[in-house]
Amino acid sequence: MKSRSKLRSLLNLDRRVIFLFVLLALAWPLLNKYTIRPARMKSADKLFKIVDELKPEKGKVAFVAFDFGPNTKAENASQAQVVVEHLMRKRIPIILFSQYVLADPFLKSIPEKIKLSLESEFPEEKWEYGKDWVNLGYRPGSALIIQSIPKSTNLAETFIIDAFSTPLKELPIFKEKLTLKNITLLFQVTGLVGTFDSYVQFFQTKDYRPQFSHGCTSITIPEAYIYLDSGQLNGLLEGIAGAAWYSYRLSDEYKAREEDDAVLINTGLGIAHLLLIGLIILGNISGLISKRIERVAT
Amino acid sequence: MTNQTLILWTTIMGGVCTLSIFSFLIKENPFYRVFEHIFIGIAAGLGAIQGFRYFLWPQILVPLFGLNIVQYPDGSFSGEYNPYVLLYIAPLLFGLLYYFIYSKKHGWLAKLVIGFSLGASAGLSFKGFFAEMLPQLSSSFKSLVVMANGTIDWASSLSNMLFVFTLLAVMYYFFFSIKAESATAKKFSASGRWLMMVCFGSFFGSTVMARLALLVERLQFLLIDWASAIKTLFSFGPPA
Repeated sequence: MKSRSKLRSLLNLDRRVIFLFVLLALAWPLLNKYTIRPARMKSADKLFKIVDELKPEKGKVAFVAFDFGPNTKAENASQAQVVVEHLMRKRIPIILFSQYVLADPFLKSIPEKIKLSLESEFPEEKWEYGKDWVNLGYRPGSALIIQSIPKSTNLAETFIIDAFSTPLKELPIFKEKLTLKNITLLFQVTGLVGTFDSYVQFFQTKDYRPQFSHGCTSITIPEAYIYLDSGQLNGLLEGIAGAAWYSYRLSDEYKAREEDDAVLINTGLGIAHLLLIGLIILGNISGLISKRIERVAT
Repeated sequence: MTNQTLILWTTIMGGVCTLSIFSFLIKENPFYRVFEHIFIGIAAGLGAIQGFRYFLWPQILVPLFGLNIVQYPDGSFSGEYNPYVLLYIAPLLFGLLYYFIYSKKHGWLAKLVIGFSLGASAGLSFKGFFAEMLPQLSSSFKSLVVMANGTIDWASSLSNMLFVFTLLAVMYYFFFSIKAESATAKKFSASGRWLMMVCFGSFFGSTVMARLALLVERLQFLLIDWASAIKTLFSFGPPA
C-alpha cells in the first residue's frame, strides 16, 4: 500500500518541483564555474578549418550576418562571438550586417568586447573599427536586400552608410571597390529559418559563391543538416554545443586566450539534460510498476 | 548620468523584466502580461525607427531632398542633383496607398499594393525555390555502394542506403494517387511514418535543448550580473 502511494505521488509530481530541480541543476555549474570538456562536433571543426585557412589579402573580406535577437542570445551570441574572434585573430576584415532589427545591440557590443579582450592579450597590437570590422547595422528588406548584394558593383554604393552614419567610402575596408567576389566567407547566425533561406537562395552569382557557414539554434539543427549534406553549407555550429567546441578549439590554439561563456553554458546544459533523462526514465519505470501493481490488485 | 550608472540600471531593469516573465511559471499574472506587452511594443517601435534610420532616410529621403550635396565656402557644390531620384516618389506614393485599408470607400486602393506585394513575393519565392532545392535534389542521388581504396566503405554505404530508403519510404507515405493494397506496400508506407516519427523525436529533443540553453543564459545573467548590480545598488559588497 505504502509503495503504491509513494509511486502515485511520484507520478503526480507538481511540474513546479521539476522546474526547481532543473533550475538547481543549471545554476550549480554557473555558480561554481564548473566546466567539462565539450563533445567534438565535426561540422564545427569544418568551420574552424575554413576560418583557420583564410589569409588576410588585400580586398578580401568576410561577411558576417547576425540575424538574431535577445530571444536566441544564449546560443547565437556565443556562436557569433567565437567566429568573429577567430576572424579578428586572423586579421580578416569583417563586414557585420543584420536583417533582424533586434540584433542591432549585438552588432556593436560583440566586436567591441572581442577587441578589448584581444588588446589585453596582445598589448602591442590594435584592432580598429573601419579597418578590422565595419558595422552596416540593421537593413530592412529581407530577401530583396540579400538579392541586391550579388548584383552590386560596389557595396559602398549599395549600403552608403554604416550603423554610425559614417559614409562607407570613408572607411579603410571600403577603399577598394568591393563586390560579392571579394567576400571569401559568409557566416550567418540565426534562430530564424526564413532569414537563413534568403542567403542560401540569393547570396551567389552564376559563377561565384563564397564559402557559406551557419550558426543555428538547437531547434533548427535537423533542418540545417539538410544543407550541410547537400553541400550548400560548408560548416555549421549546432547550437551551444557547436559554439562550445569551437571555443575549446580556439583555447587549444591560442593558450593565453580569455575563456568565454560557451563552455560554461554547455556544461550547465549537459547536467540539465542528464537530470531530464533521469526524470524521464524514473517516470516511465514508476508508471510501469504502478500499472503492474494495479493489475495484480484487480 | 555616468556610463556605469546607466549600465547598473539597465542590468537591474533587465533582471526585473526577466523575473516578471518567469513569473508565468508559477501562474498567469499581471506582471507577466505587462512585460510581455512592453517587449512586443519595443520590438515593433524599434523596427520602425531603424527602418527609417538605415533605409528610408539615407537611401531615399537624403538624395531626394538633395541633402547629400554640400555647398563649399566658395559657392561651388560637392555634386549635381540627380533628377532621376525623383522617380522614387512614384513607388513611395504607391506604397502609401496601403493606408487606404482603413477607408471603406477607397479600400480597393490598398488591394493594389497587396496584390503587387503578393506577386513580387511569389516571383521571388519561385526563383529562390529552385536555387535552394535543386542542389538538394541532386545530392539525394547517392551511391549505394561507396568504394574507398579499392574496398567497400561499409559505414558510408550503409549510411547512403538508409538515406535512400528513408527518402523513398517517406515519399511513398505521401503518395496518395494509388491505394497501397499489398502487404509489402502497406509495410513500406508504415516504415515511412515510423521514420518520420524518429525525425519528429529529434526535433522535439533539440527544441528542449534550445529552451534549456535560453534558461541557462538568463540564469547566468540573474545569478552573476544582476546579483552583482543589486549588491552594488544596496552596497552589500563589491561587485562580483
